[in-house]
Amino acid sequence: MSDGEPLIRWQWIGDHAAELADYTGIHLRLGLLPVLFGLIISVPLGILCHRYRWLYPPVLTVANILYSIPSLALFMIFVRYTGLTERTVMIPLTIYTLSVLVPNVVDGLASVPEPVRLAATAMGFGAIRRVVQVELPIAVPVVIAGVRVAAVSSISLVAVGQLIGQGGLGYYITRGLQLDFPTPIITAIVLIMLLALATDALLVLAQRLLTPWSRNKVTAS
Amino acid sequence: MIRFDAVSKNYPNGTTAVDELSLELAEGGLTVLVGPSGCGKTTTLRMVNRMVEPTAGTVSLRGQDIREVNAPELRRGIGYVIQHAGLFPHRTILDNIATVPLLLGWSRKKARARAAELLELVGLPSEMAKRYPNQLSGGQQQRVGVARALGADPPVLLMDEPFSAVDPIVRAELQAEFIRLQKELHKTIVFVTHDIDEAIKLGDKIAVFRTGGKLAQFDTPERLLADPADDFVADFVGHDRGIRRLSFVNAADVPLRDGPVLAATSPVASARTGDEPWVLVVDDGRRPLGWAAVADLPESGTLADVPLAPLGHTFSLVGDSARAALDSALLSPARLAVGVDAHGAVVGVADAHELSAGTGGTADATRADGGKR
Repeated sequence: MSDGEPLIRWQWIGDHAAELADYTGIHLRLGLLPVLFGLIISVPLGILCHRYRWLYPPVLTVANILYSIPSLALFMIFVRYTGLTERTVMIPLTIYTLSVLVPNVVDGLASVPEPVRLAATAMGFGAIRRVVQVELPIAVPVVIAGVRVAAVSSISLVAVGQLIGQGGLGYYITRGLQLDFPTPIITAIVLIMLLALATDALLVLAQRLLTPWSRNKVTAS
Repeated sequence: MIRFDAVSKNYPNGTTAVDELSLELAEGGLTVLVGPSGCGKTTTLRMVNRMVEPTAGTVSLRGQDIREVNAPELRRGIGYVIQHAGLFPHRTILDNIATVPLLLGWSRKKARARAAELLELVGLPSEMAKRYPNQLSGGQQQRVGVARALGADPPVLLMDEPFSAVDPIVRAELQAEFIRLQKELHKTIVFVTHDIDEAIKLGDKIAVFRTGGKLAQFDTPERLLADPADDFVADFVGHDRGIRRLSFVNAADVPLRDGPVLAATSPVASARTGDEPWVLVVDDGRRPLGWAAVADLPESGTLADVPLAPLGHTFSLVGDSARAALDSALLSPARLAVGVDAHGAVVGVADAHELSAGTGGTADATRADGGKR
């Protein structure tokens, strides 16, 4: 860093506000769509793992092994098929969410009290209807807890995508390093953190709205 | 109504939950399945709505083999209440009760209207409709469980230890209300419990199971107490079955004698004429005031001036059972039970020996107070 260069040049931020907003939007998309896709994969997979317990250990092991593959390696693998596109970033990020989301779906379903499951069956719910109308809604708090972890980690991981030119706000980090200019780097880091925090707050709110029943515990005698 | 025909349930690991059970449960009656844990009572219950499928034999409902009916459909026509209520935590009380009507495809409005009726029927205030199960006490949740089971007005109700998880006071309350409800609804009920007292209190018929899923005896509560089929049943019913049996004997049937009954206006001297150690002092309506110990009586005056020992309690010839009469005898300082009529006037007295001698052979007597208090 050159001497006399301040950490933040506010002027630069003002000049690049519109561009920053664009990159923030891209960053959100790159970070959150994988969580959505991850959820779309994890819910049915989690239901299967809950129903057929033998399936769960291998599925979890595979998800964890995939999570341990460095993102750089995954980018290099997928870039051969999907090129330098957003998809090449989102596919590995989606894969990474599974190691959090699948266990949380399974744990969420396991959190359904046995008498509730029994009662649902005895009332005449068919197997699918029971899962959709009784077990999944009760699993929501545990599933959302997993979504929060997945979303925050996914948003911060997006920046690595800059390796293939698709890193959302990560663009400013590499730019700043190349130009030896700290302002874009710090701006990007702060924005990424704010995105993660805001997403987390929204998920907490979503959970409160989705599960009014889990609040107001009254210990009446 | 519900018929078990040589029904067995064996598990692959070799255990037998139910062994060659044949049983016929009457329409509109409350049959209790009772026995120690592992005796197959819950398995038997669950075979009625196909939550457990028998390995041999046939279960039929109103003459139809239940295997001919699709399981979820069959279950929607059979109410089910379990020990820990098993309410759906994510649904309001009203929607919990509306569960089966909604499964049957009723409109939401109609289902909720029905649920509101049921909420009232089980004695819960309408403000509870919008609450969630975790905001209710255990007893209240259990009431909602009963209401939910009654959702689509099923003719058959299966109850698996529904009152076991609440404290004794709430349990007694729920039992009493359940009896009231059944008098109104006349459902065919199969009720599982491990508590013989509850079985005797609630059942029209009781099936006692022994470990290994064998039916030991199927009888009325009176018969069960008076004439247990074998040592296992006698033991299970308990050593105080003799006393409990008295619940089924009408107090009007117990032998009474006139006894030492004197008006409060009588002179003290008249109490000494008999050879009884205690005299029962009554007012001018022959209502009992208390017992006077003859040995402690003053020289002169009337019995009105004498300090009286409390009665303990009396028993009514109208509505009480011989068990209340015996209790009355045991609590009385004179060891004499005081029987009163509908107006509270003394009819006569009896001691414990006379009571037991007089009721010994009346095992087939109809229930005095329904035995249900």
